[in-house]
Amino acid sequence: MSTTPPLSKPSPTGPHADVPPAPSFRVRRLWARTRPVLLPSASLLVFLLLWQLLAASGTWSETLVPPPAKVWDAFADVSTMHDGVRGYNGTYLVEHLGISLRRIGIGAGLGIAAGVVFGLLMGTVGWLRALFEPWITFLRTLPPLAYFSLLVIWLGINEEPKITLLAVAAFPPVAVSTTTAVAAVPRSLTEAARALGASRWNVITDVVVPSALPETLTGVRLAVGVAYSSLVAAELVNGLPGIGGMVKDAANYNNTPVVLVGIITIGVSGLIIDGLLLRLERAVVPWRGRA
Amino acid sequence: MSSSDVTTSPQETGAGHTDAVRLDSVVHRYGRGGETFTAVGPVDLTVPAGEFLVLVGASGCGKSTLLRLVAGFERPAHGSVRVHGAEPRPGATAGVVFQTPRLFPWRTVRGNIDLALRYAGVERARRPEKRRELLDRVGLAGVEGRRVWEISGGQQQRVAIARALAAENPLLLLDEPFAALDALTRERLQEDVRQVTARTGRTTVFVTHSADEAVFLGSRIIVLTRSPGTVALDLPIPLPRDGVDAEELRNSAEFAELRARVSHAVKTAAA
Repeated sequence: MSTTPPLSKPSPTGPHADVPPAPSFRVRRLWARTRPVLLPSASLLVFLLLWQLLAASGTWSETLVPPPAKVWDAFADVSTMHDGVRGYNGTYLVEHLGISLRRIGIGAGLGIAAGVVFGLLMGTVGWLRALFEPWITFLRTLPPLAYFSLLVIWLGINEEPKITLLAVAAFPPVAVSTTTAVAAVPRSLTEAARALGASRWNVITDVVVPSALPETLTGVRLAVGVAYSSLVAAELVNGLPGIGGMVKDAANYNNTPVVLVGIITIGVSGLIIDGLLLRLERAVVPWRGRA
Repeated sequence: MSSSDVTTSPQETGAGHTDAVRLDSVVHRYGRGGETFTAVGPVDLTVPAGEFLVLVGASGCGKSTLLRLVAGFERPAHGSVRVHGAEPRPGATAGVVFQTPRLFPWRTVRGNIDLALRYAGVERARRPEKRRELLDRVGLAGVEGRRVWEISGGQQQRVAIARALAAENPLLLLDEPFAALDALTRERLQEDVRQVTARTGRTTVFVTHSADEAVFLGSRIIVLTRSPGTVALDLPIPLPRDGVDAEELRNSAEFAELRARVSHAVKTAAA
């Protein structure tokens, strides 16, 4: 305390010195870059650990809560040839999934197409909206299982009722979101188009449709989600081959590991498809939230 | 359709003897039944071809409504609006520039201009050339491929002006187009609009609340009273329109005097 410190002592690590970033900074940057992968992996690991502990504790019988290893074995069994049996019920897991995806593709595709058409009509013509909206709301609140029995009575037990169910499930979200988006097209933009000499048809194709597209695509994502969650219902009757049918069939035999394999497969493929749709959305509507 | 007869009406582009716009005892009301509100009128007004008319008034005096009537977006409750002798129809009678650019965000700058050219009936092969010409006329270069949110507000409004010029309509309507821009950008755009219209001889109706902007741009100024808007002052502006330095003009004594007069009239009319 007796002497004052020297006023200026040029430091080699001054603000202008060319030094690498401090270690703490580098760690933080590494963390920021790996976090999107690290966190989900960690949570998955914790989940598997808890699952294993729960299964090993013996609180429930192995039929109810099989350990992860058992489910992994079941996954290997349904994906390969084993003891002369091909996958599950003569079909590999990927094939089950592929057949189901095809049903979803056709069913949800039809539902989405119908939803876009209805949405455009209802959003532009007031009385059509008044006419159809209650029906669509009614349809939207029904659980798919409620009308599946009816579809079986009408359409039999083959592909028709399954695809129809998926189409009916996928239709309302797209119709509702498109209707809302079309009705909410900014008047400033339709007016600007008219001032440039656009015809009524021009306004619809050049302003209404692109303006509604972001909302419609959100509706499409919702629709695919709803179709996915209706998959097991759609494949309740005569669903084999098919991933939902596999789950239903395995449940009949208390084959919990295969049920879990089916559920995980549906969930993971659903995640992947939603991710792809999200990327598609970003590529198709880069103006979302910009205007 | 409506887009094709837009291009085939260049007969009155230049300063002829015809009236470009004619309003006869025009009254406009908003609302229906018992709850109506008279926004404009009665207004009698003729705008000769080639004139740069500026409508000035305090906010809410009905000047934008008057412009919308001329554009054909609204129909008068009483009286008649005629543009080149016919009832105005959006897209067929006038190019319109709004207060905000109103560009289509799903299209690039190029796409926005090309759409306007398509509506104007310009065939595909001739569009690139016409587009460059339009962008050149509003002083824009090198932004053709940009998304509209990637360019500045002033540039967006320039694109909107280029778009409104695409159809080569003999009448151009601008509704406070520079109100949302910063002072520097505003002055530069004012100078450019003054040049563009002086060069093409278009009839222009420009709405603003700024006396300064009105005197700088207009060859004639109409001051509107408070709602319902009627004509309070009809003033020709005898300032030179071509070959004059903008800075010099803004600093001249005549300019200051006219601005003071208009400013006073606006305040009196709004009281």
